[in-house]
Amino acid sequence: MLGIETSCDETGVGIVRGRDLLANVIASSMEEQARFGGVVPEVAARAHLEALQPTLAAALAEAGVGLADLDALAVTSGPGLAGALMVGIGAAKGLAQATGLPLYGVNHLVGHVGADLLRTETDADRGELELPTIALLVSGGHTSLLLVRDLLDDVELLGETIDDAAGEAFDKVARLLGLPYPGGPEIDRAAASGDPGAIRFPRGLTAPKDRDRHRYDFSFSGLKTAVARWVEAARDRGEEVAVPDVAASFREAVVDVLTAKALDACREHGIPRLLLGGGVVANRRLRELAETRAADAGVALRIPPLALCTDNGAMIAAIGAQLVDAGRPPSDPRFGADSTLPVTRVQA
Amino acid sequence: MGAFERMLPDTAATEAFGAELGGILRPGDAVILAGELGAGKTALTRGIGAALGAEGAVSSPTFVIARTHRTARGMPLVHVDAYRLVSSSELDDLDIDFPASITVIEWGRGLAEPVLDAWLDLELTRPKGGALDPEADPDEPRRLVAIPHGGDWAERLSTLTP
Repeated sequence: MLGIETSCDETGVGIVRGRDLLANVIASSMEEQARFGGVVPEVAARAHLEALQPTLAAALAEAGVGLADLDALAVTSGPGLAGALMVGIGAAKGLAQATGLPLYGVNHLVGHVGADLLRTETDADRGELELPTIALLVSGGHTSLLLVRDLLDDVELLGETIDDAAGEAFDKVARLLGLPYPGGPEIDRAAASGDPGAIRFPRGLTAPKDRDRHRYDFSFSGLKTAVARWVEAARDRGEEVAVPDVAASFREAVVDVLTAKALDACREHGIPRLLLGGGVVANRRLRELAETRAADAGVALRIPPLALCTDNGAMIAAIGAQLVDAGRPPSDPRFGADSTLPVTRVQA
Repeated sequence: MGAFERMLPDTAATEAFGAELGGILRPGDAVILAGELGAGKTALTRGIGAALGAEGAVSSPTFVIARTHRTARGMPLVHVDAYRLVSSSELDDLDIDFPASITVIEWGRGLAEPVLDAWLDLELTRPKGGALDPEADPDEPRRLVAIPHGGDWAERLSTLTP
């Protein structure tokens, strides 16, 4: 099964056999995007167009297979940037037409959960993904808390961000602190020498008044405003902004809310399992705090290898393989890009 | 040109104003939203979305630049973040169907006007710097100023109570 992922700025092609990972090749237009201070959809779409063919060839070479060896194809159909998705879907449909292989349109967010199914040579002892599980998916474009009872048939969205995604908050605070894009690694670097307890920034949607309506939703806008005001106040006083302390305190506020809400969901649903996914999992402090809190709560924490946490084609292939195994028919060939595809629709 | 001013005591009031404004919007309308990071631009748009019955979560469009929501009222709500666009022609490149949609453009001031015939300019101002207690509730008052430009915006604005 070959999977293609183009929902944002990474062009990913992965090849799996059932649950065994054979190839995972990713080309990123990050450097190009950095000039614009973020992902520009038109730039992303053009970059996908240029990167797809070489990425496909590299994945086939890495897996040591030819197109004739494939049994089926899968492609991300949403959610994501419409123009970027269209490039991947167009390529996948062309490939399906040329090879006669069945094509499956797959949900990107469920793909992040599916990434955990994949077995690589180095992590044979990771054990199996058990369901149901709570899944926390955090990236530049998404901050979602899912309850996954069945990978193909029963995925429930418990909550999501009502304003900025977590990765986006990192980018915006980096901007406030005069740090370059992308903000995540920059904030991480600056935070290394800072005191996470120096400033107590607000934790969005954790007040009792938000308990009913926004139990599992996230908000990082108020936090961003608090950082902006703190920076302005320091400048007004003619003081140098203590960037390491601000970065460390901000990062602490983000990972505190993310992990607290995820573990609340585990406890309140009686599910002692938590899965992390998405590019922000690259943040060391997020992994650290999730590990500590999960251990304290008796929750088994699963984090796929980092190369499978960021956007990639292998995770899409993994869900495609599950669909084939379950005997599902291929997607209607007329399916298109759906930038707001809900998690309840695993297959397009 | 009658400018319209209102104090919005908290985020809920910002959303409520958005909902009120949503009530007088119709296809072809464009709203330019100005105000620094954290001023409440997305919160106000969330209110507009609620009034129109927008599908999907009206959250920050920064990452995707433009997000289109279907609405219960029929016309699409297009929510744009123009911060990373450098020229009016880049906004034009997004191929937004302005006549058929309600378009809200965050960070659109100084960039969106050339592609519009009429628009409502909204500016949100939050307290800046000063003596801030970081432990305090970040939900502080915003000042809203609305300035009509062309069309019948001035008349329509006068139907709202300042």
